[in-house]
Amino acid sequence: MDTTIDPNNMPHVSDASVSVEIETEDMTLNIGPQHPSTHGVLRLVAKVDGEKISSVEPVLGYMHRGYEKLAEVRTYPQITTLVNRIDWVSGFANEIPFIAATEKLMEIEVPERAQHIRLILTEMARIASHFVFNGAYALEIGALSPMFLAMEDRERVLDLIESVTGGRFHPNFNRIGGVKPAAGAGPTTKKDIQDLPAGFYEETKIVMEKVLEAVERFENLVGGNEVFKARTQNVGIISKEMCEDYGVSGPILRASGVKFDLRTQTNFLPYDKFDFEIPIGENGDCYDRWYVRLIEMRESARIILQAIDSMPSGSLQAKVPKVIKVPKGQSYVRTENPKGEMGFHVISEGGLGPYRLKIRTPSFSNISILPALLEGQLLPALIATLGSLDFVLGDVDR
Amino acid sequence: MNQSDPQSFIDSLSSKFNNIVNEFDTLKINVESSQWTETVSILKNDFGLTYFSWLSAIDWENEVSVGDPPKEPVNPHFEIICCLSESIEGNLVLVSTKIEKENASIDSLVSIFAGSNWHEREAYEMFGIDFVNHPNLTKIYLPDGYEGNPMLKSFELISREVKPWPGEVDVEGMPEDGKKEEGES
Repeated sequence: MDTTIDPNNMPHVSDASVSVEIETEDMTLNIGPQHPSTHGVLRLVAKVDGEKISSVEPVLGYMHRGYEKLAEVRTYPQITTLVNRIDWVSGFANEIPFIAATEKLMEIEVPERAQHIRLILTEMARIASHFVFNGAYALEIGALSPMFLAMEDRERVLDLIESVTGGRFHPNFNRIGGVKPAAGAGPTTKKDIQDLPAGFYEETKIVMEKVLEAVERFENLVGGNEVFKARTQNVGIISKEMCEDYGVSGPILRASGVKFDLRTQTNFLPYDKFDFEIPIGENGDCYDRWYVRLIEMRESARIILQAIDSMPSGSLQAKVPKVIKVPKGQSYVRTENPKGEMGFHVISEGGLGPYRLKIRTPSFSNISILPALLEGQLLPALIATLGSLDFVLGDVDR
Repeated sequence: MNQSDPQSFIDSLSSKFNNIVNEFDTLKINVESSQWTETVSILKNDFGLTYFSWLSAIDWENEVSVGDPPKEPVNPHFEIICCLSESIEGNLVLVSTKIEKENASIDSLVSIFAGSNWHEREAYEMFGIDFVNHPNLTKIYLPDGYEGNPMLKSFELISREVKPWPGEVDVEGMPEDGKKEEGES
C-alpha cells in the first residue's frame, strides 16, 4: 500500500469524517460511605457507563449495632432506651410501636391523657424529621439557604420536645402503661403528678403557627424553583406495584398514589379524633415525595393544634406491676413513623425481657428498592433519588 | 381496628387455611414448610395481600447463652415468619412455618416478592438459614470474613461474658419497698 502523501492533494480537514465505535468499559464508582448525600454511612457501588448507571449495589452494615440481639438481654423498660436510637431523627416516634406491642401483650389500657401526649410528641417528631429532610434535600439539589431555615424552625420544635421530655433526640419518655412525668414540671409526688411544663400550650401554638408559615415559605422558595423542579420532576419514578413488592412505605408509598397511612388504618394512637388530610402524589417522582412530606408537616401541625385544644385531663400512667413481666404471647404492632411503617414483633415467653424482638424499620425496606430503581438512570438522578427516599442509616442498619 | 371488617377477612382466610391463630390483634397462619411459597403466592394473588412487609426467623431453643430460655421446653427448630399486608385496607397477616435446625433451608420468596431479597439475606447471615433459589445469598450487614450466626440463641454476647448484666437487681426494690433508694425518679 502506498503510504506516501502528496502534499498538493491532501483532503481538507473538514472533509474528514470519523466513525469509530468506541468500546467503553463500565467504571466502578464508589459512593460513600462518607459521601454527604448518603446521610451517614451508606456505601453505593455503582457501575457507570459514562453518566449512565448500569447497576447499583448498596453495601450496608457500617452502622449495624445488633439491636435485635441486644434486646434479648434487656428488660422491657430498658428496651425503650434502645429503640429511640434506631431512627435518631425522630426518636420519639420509634418508642410508640414497641410500647404499644408490649401494652397489647399485657392488656393495659393507657389513659387518654397519656395517649394524647404521645400523639402530640409523635407529630412533633414527624415535623422535626421532615424539616431535616426539607433542608437536606434542597441542599443536595444545590440550594443552601433552605437548610439554615429548616434547622432554625426545627430547633423550635426540638425545644418543645425537650421541654416535655428532657431530651432533644432521645426522649426515652414512654413508659409501659403511659408516659413519664415531664421534666421541669416540679417535684413529682404520688398525689400531684405534673406532666406538661408551664406555658407549654401557648408556646406550642406559637411554634405551630411558625411551622405553618415555614411550610408556605418552603413551598414557594423550594417548590417554585425551576432548578429544583428540573432536577426532581419525572426523576426516580416509583410505581405503586414496585412499592408493594419491596415493602416501601410512608411518604414514598403515598407519593406513588397509594392512600395508605397507618395513622388512620390502626388504632395505636387516637388519630380518629382529629381532622387531617393524607396527602398523596400523582407521579411517584422525587418532586412528589418532597411535596407529600411538606404537606404532612402542615397536617401534623394541624393535628397538634387540635390536640392541645382538646387535651383530656386525668392520669398519666395506667396501673402496672412494679416488675414488668409480659405474659407469654406474640404481638406485632406497626405505626406510621415519619419514614414509613415501623413495627415491632414482640415474642414473649413470660420473662422480664422478650425472647425475640423483630424490628421492622422503614428505611431498610425503602432503600432495598435502590438497585431496581437506579438501573439505567443518570448520575445526577442518583443523588436526587437517594435524597428523596429520606432514610436514616440507624434505621437501615439497626 | 381496621377500617375494613377484620372478621370477614378472617372468615375468608379460614375457608382456605385451617391453622389460623388470632392473638393480640395479630393474625398468624401456620403452614408446613413444603407449602411456604405456595401459601405466600395464594395470599398475594387471591387475598389481596400484595404488600410485603418483612421476613425474619426465630430460633426456638431450650439452652440459651443469652436471655431467658422458654418457660416450657420446646422442640428446637427455626420458625420463619413473613409479614404481608393489604395496601388499601390494612389487614395484616403473619405467615409462619417451622423448619429443622440441621441444614436449615427453605424456598426463597424472591420470585414472588422482590423485596424479600434483603430480608432473606439478613436471615441467612443471622441464623444460617439457606434460602433455596435466592439470586444473591450473601451477607448483608456483617463483614465478609465473619464467622457464626449472631442471632442464634447459642451465640454468646461478648459484652455479657465480660460483665454480666445485673438483671433483676435493676428492676426490683422501688423506694416504697424500703429496700433501696434507687429507682425511677
